[in-house]
Amino acid sequence: MTQLKSGERQLAMILSGLVLLAGFLLAAAGHGDPMGVHGWIVVLFAAVILVVAMRALDDPEPTEDRTMSYYDDPTKVGIVIALLWAVVGMGMGVWVAAQLAWPDLRFDAAWSSFGRIRPVHTSGVIFGFGGNALIATSFHVMQRTSRARLAGQVSPWFVLLGFNLFCIVAASGYIMGVTQSKEYAEPEWYADIWLVIVWVVYFILYMRTLARRNEPHIYVANWYYMSFILVVAILHIVNNLAVPASWGGAKSYSLFSGVQDAMTQWWYGHNAVAFFLTTGFLGMLYYFLPKRAERPIYSYRLSILSFWGIVFFYIWVGSHHLHYTALPQWVQTLGMTFSVMLLIPSWASAGNALMTLNGAWGKVRDDATLRFMMVAAVFYGLSTFEGSFMAVRAVNSLSHYTDWTVGHVHAGAMGWVALITFGSIYALTPVLWRKKTMYSWKLVEWHFWLALSGTVIYVFAMWNSGITQGLMWRTYTESGTLAYSFTDTLVAMHPYYIARAAGGALFLAGAVLALYNVVMTIRRVPDHAPHLDYPTNSEAAEPAVPAGE
Amino acid sequence: MWRKLLSPFARLFEFQAKTHYRAERHSMALTIGIIAAASVGGIVEIAPLFTIDDTVEAAPDMRVYTPLEQAGRDIYIREGCYACHSQMIRSLQDEVDRYGPYSLAVESQYDHPMLWGSKRTGPDLARVGEKYSDDWQVRHLVDPRDLVPESVMPQYAFLLETQLETASLPDRLAALRTVGVPYTDEQIENAASDALGQSRPETDRADGVAERYGDATNIRTFDGRTDLLTEMDALVAYLQILGGLTDVAAETQPARGE
Amino acid sequence: MEMSHEFTLVLAKSFGLFYLIALSIGITAYAFWPSLGNRFDTAAKSILDDEDGPCR
Repeated sequence: MTQLKSGERQLAMILSGLVLLAGFLLAAAGHGDPMGVHGWIVVLFAAVILVVAMRALDDPEPTEDRTMSYYDDPTKVGIVIALLWAVVGMGMGVWVAAQLAWPDLRFDAAWSSFGRIRPVHTSGVIFGFGGNALIATSFHVMQRTSRARLAGQVSPWFVLLGFNLFCIVAASGYIMGVTQSKEYAEPEWYADIWLVIVWVVYFILYMRTLARRNEPHIYVANWYYMSFILVVAILHIVNNLAVPASWGGAKSYSLFSGVQDAMTQWWYGHNAVAFFLTTGFLGMLYYFLPKRAERPIYSYRLSILSFWGIVFFYIWVGSHHLHYTALPQWVQTLGMTFSVMLLIPSWASAGNALMTLNGAWGKVRDDATLRFMMVAAVFYGLSTFEGSFMAVRAVNSLSHYTDWTVGHVHAGAMGWVALITFGSIYALTPVLWRKKTMYSWKLVEWHFWLALSGTVIYVFAMWNSGITQGLMWRTYTESGTLAYSFTDTLVAMHPYYIARAAGGALFLAGAVLALYNVVMTIRRVPDHAPHLDYPTNSEAAEPAVPAGE
Repeated sequence: MWRKLLSPFARLFEFQAKTHYRAERHSMALTIGIIAAASVGGIVEIAPLFTIDDTVEAAPDMRVYTPLEQAGRDIYIREGCYACHSQMIRSLQDEVDRYGPYSLAVESQYDHPMLWGSKRTGPDLARVGEKYSDDWQVRHLVDPRDLVPESVMPQYAFLLETQLETASLPDRLAALRTVGVPYTDEQIENAASDALGQSRPETDRADGVAERYGDATNIRTFDGRTDLLTEMDALVAYLQILGGLTDVAAETQPARGE
Repeated sequence: MEMSHEFTLVLAKSFGLFYLIALSIGITAYAFWPSLGNRFDTAAKSILDDEDGPCR
């Protein structure tokens, strides 16, 4: 707040006031429906921000020239929120995993069944942890690579807090049973509309910041972040087209049905993997890995080629989720073909990352942060290979509907997405808060080994369980009848489900360490430099943006 | 007061006017490039599917969900059943042997959204209708491990105690009609009454259900409780119609002779 | 409205193929355009030292 001028504080007040009003409307319209509860959640959320803005309204104007420095406050808050979501989301994950091993851990409440809290886990880690990390790091990267301050003081907060409001509404909705049943797009219509507003502001902010840049070329990490913002917007809008049953309730019905809906959903679903969980995090990789290794990316040209390859190929592959279903054969074949071709740009990216480290292996050995990123690139390569393999129709006939898919997703989500994020956070934290170092490198080392062993245990358990189950389903006796009942396969899964919960628990423990370590870094580690960015050259004394801003 | 509140917007306009933007060709080109590259795949794969009615098998006997079944479907969605149960039998021999004829596109044409699912922690449910008795379904939902000791399914005993909310059913059916399900005005008007009627055989309301949705409609006291129309009624009514909206799959795919 | 399924299919497939080819050629040309080499190198190196604030 201290960095905001009085006009900006008023704007913040007005915006939170508007959200507050929208919350009241939602609460009034949805009286007696879960939507009403959501209205009150929105009211509460906006009221807190409104109070903060009002209390700061009469504070003195900021004295320093803001154009001289990067605007890092939203990034800082975003990083801490991301870690909080990581603990919540992964905690939910361990709980749902444990429910499959010991169903009584559900404790008999309506809200705590697997079906209701599973989306809390998936949305918590994908949107809460991943989304906040993406927004926070994108603010950091866009400023650094453009050598320009964020184009706005209020809009970054609007994006960050608005996105978290969406996450809270989503998670609390699942517990109350508010869901569209579209995987990874579960929130209902009003949350979807809100996300569109937030996303448009995010896109404008990004474009305006890029427009201020002092480099002739837009660094490739920004391309990846841009594709994440843009394509997620397209996917989100199309897949969530729905007609509400009434304006006074949460329930809505998808515009699409049957086979069209299936194709649209998995076009969305797989591209959420592509543009939320891959390109955004590749943006992170292309910035933080070279930075941490102190070497430029191995081949910049290759990074451009693989960018367009990924953007173009990924969008086709969703139909590999629908092999042997009622989806027309030709669409299945297209999806399979592009899934295999996708391996080329994916491995180009992973290889590019690893070649960057060639010659810096000593650093990788000594520095757990860089090792996080290195292992993330390896897992990225492995899980994209596995993905292409599983998209082949014959393999898919075995793997689909089994835990193999779950294992594959987690190899990507834990091994690639979470590790690159943790690596980036460890690289970023001392820089952001201008600290000499992390609070404890030993804890980072612990986190690394906990995360790695957790991922490996999880993935191996799911491979075993998935392949076992797939084979059991298709085994025939000599007389030509099915050898195993469905229940038989469940019994066979039990030990793997226990191992999976254990692997997840290790990973969760690592995330808790990360949160503790970052908080202690902020609170305990002495400052490295004064709280001020200094301009590079003497010309910088002349602000390019008029003082009216 | 007003002046103070409006001042940030005035600043906004000034800011626009004063700031000199360099002609920003690069980021615009990038934006357009990304959209161009990323939209094609989706268009090519999805657009033709909207003309698919030309090619899929016709099912003249296809009927819509009754209000009670649709309410059950909404509960199925609310509880996240789709996270563990698929409703899509693939055209593989072992699946056909285990679950029945493979699923056809037409069978989910009224499913907004579809519930094909992606994971079978539990078995496929595309043809579970009438495979078990109502009583079995109710007892299984109340405590799955009572009937299948190895099951890891959550218990849903509370459904048997919760009254089904029917007041919003006309709205819901109307919304479904907007997206393409052929409900008649009469069906929409009587939705709430029909929901109750379907679980109260031998009443006037039940006759109305048979009249509007056909004599083949299941009209039974699904949950065994006559004092209250519960969410269990709706969910079981839905489960019992799965695979039963049309006979086209069974007719076109004769069962494999032993 | 003579948009039969067959027709849209053929249209979609052939258009998709040409688009794929054109796009790959365009991108390869861009990535390997000789005069852009310097710019790429500068960009790749520029991120290594960017903590000194916006250069205004």
